[in-house]
Amino acid sequence: MLAMVKGKWVYLVIAALLAFLILIPFDWFLGHYTTIMIFIGISTMVTVGLCLLMGYTGQVSLGQAAFYGLGAYFSAVLSKTYSVNPWLAMLIAAIATGAFAYVIGYPILRLRGNYLAMATLGLGIIMWILFGQLSQFTGGPDGMAGIPYLSIGGFIFDTSFKRYFLVWFFCLAVLFISQNIVRSRSGRALRAIHGSEAAAESVGINVARFKVKIFVLSAVYASLAGSLLVHHLRFVSPQPFDFLASVKFVVMAVIGGLASIWGAIFGAGTTRILSDELLLGFGEWDVVVYGAILIIVMIFMPEGLFVKLKELIGRWRLRYAERGSET
Amino acid sequence: MRESILETRSLSKAFGGLVALDKVDLAIEAGTISAIIGPNGAGKTTLFNVITGVYPVSDGEILFEGKPLKSAPAHKRASLGIARTFQNVLLFGNMTVLENIMTGQHPRSHYGFLGAALRLPRAHREEETISLNAMKYLNMVGLGTFAGQNSMSLPLGQQKLLTIARALATEPRLILLDEPGAGLNTLEKRELSDLIHRIRETGISVILVEHDMPLVMGIAEWIIVLDSGQKIAEGTAAQVQKDQRVISAYLGEETD
Repeated sequence: MLAMVKGKWVYLVIAALLAFLILIPFDWFLGHYTTIMIFIGISTMVTVGLCLLMGYTGQVSLGQAAFYGLGAYFSAVLSKTYSVNPWLAMLIAAIATGAFAYVIGYPILRLRGNYLAMATLGLGIIMWILFGQLSQFTGGPDGMAGIPYLSIGGFIFDTSFKRYFLVWFFCLAVLFISQNIVRSRSGRALRAIHGSEAAAESVGINVARFKVKIFVLSAVYASLAGSLLVHHLRFVSPQPFDFLASVKFVVMAVIGGLASIWGAIFGAGTTRILSDELLLGFGEWDVVVYGAILIIVMIFMPEGLFVKLKELIGRWRLRYAERGSET
Repeated sequence: MRESILETRSLSKAFGGLVALDKVDLAIEAGTISAIIGPNGAGKTTLFNVITGVYPVSDGEILFEGKPLKSAPAHKRASLGIARTFQNVLLFGNMTVLENIMTGQHPRSHYGFLGAALRLPRAHREEETISLNAMKYLNMVGLGTFAGQNSMSLPLGQQKLLTIARALATEPRLILLDEPGAGLNTLEKRELSDLIHRIRETGISVILVEHDMPLVMGIAEWIIVLDSGQKIAEGTAAQVQKDQRVISAYLGEETD
């Protein structure tokens, strides 16, 4: 009975969220936020992958921007320099990035804790340097402009209004897929690895393989996000894929709650609005703010701001229900 | 004698210069309850770890149902039918009681990321079987009413029962229990003996490492005594209790 009531609530919340998302880009509603919402959608895709990897499986990655950048550059170079169809380029980018994560994942994921953090950090920095240095392909530090728009038949995604729906279609697909995975046999295997690797092996879970699989999946999410980014901006440069970007993704995942799929939207939203609107005056000092947020959230609400809020609302509802039943 | 479920031939394990297991020969009869006893540091847990593939063997071989295990990794051995529990419990603390056991069904289910992501009918069917089976094992250890609770909220005794249920959920033919009685009170120990008997009745062979002698003598049909990595005696409870080497290993030898 209680579960049924709870189930209905969840659908109501999702329906309200969807309605809100659909209305945002209209000028008479919140049209002004369309562009920032596109960035939030793209960031959410990367963050969800990181939540699966860090929150559920317990494997740290400080180099998620590497995969985000790989997706972006594969899409940019293939679709512009080699005139490959942008959709096909996006697919090739996802497959290539996934393959790269697979090859690098096997050795790197044998490391644990701080060592894994250092290795992924190194990966992120190396890729960032490569994006800047391989200038005959990537355009170097100055970047590369004139990347084509995505299109379906004659329908070209040439305005932010159109791209908003495109990005959020991908973002919601990634969220639903992740939600389904978390609640499945594989999701339990991932959480088991987080709980105890020895015990996970003892119940037949191939720990090494599951770690690599989820690493690859998070890389593919990031790659898709990168592809969407360059077809939105029509420009690519190494800047959005630097170390700070990787840190920001971790901040997003932490604010949303590492072990919370839907919290990723909240985390990405908060962090994006902070960095694109509120912290502009801080210049390079914004790093300090992110550091402070990370520390405060980890100390006072390690399960994440979003999860904490959900808990508070739940408690409030319970108290309300109790008062109702008394009278 | 019936068929052996598990055999070790001249099994040795050394950590650097330290010999933890020294040419141990075992033959565990299928469908029995056996116990491995011995003083601290005798190599009992190392033996479990080598059998379950946590450590590679240094020398010798292990046969499960007559087939050599070679270098099969730990997760492979679980799907072959060897389950275990741990001395230090090792529950999945980030899951509910029921989810812990559902995770135990991992080697008996097959759908993967794709099936889950797209909610394929096959995934649905398997999930149903998994939760039904999990509930069955949970009821077998008497924790059915705690299904939805977080696993770490249970007291130690019930946590240990939960790890046994999790191991049973892998549908093993051999289960290794590492000190299942440690930290349990008298009543809980009696329930544990009952449970071990019921496990054996379902056709699963049981090997336990245990320090509680009344518990061991009460349920084990075959007792193997290890000391400093060597098998020093084996037999029924009565035989082992009379063995001079066993007595001196436990009480210390008089030297002249």
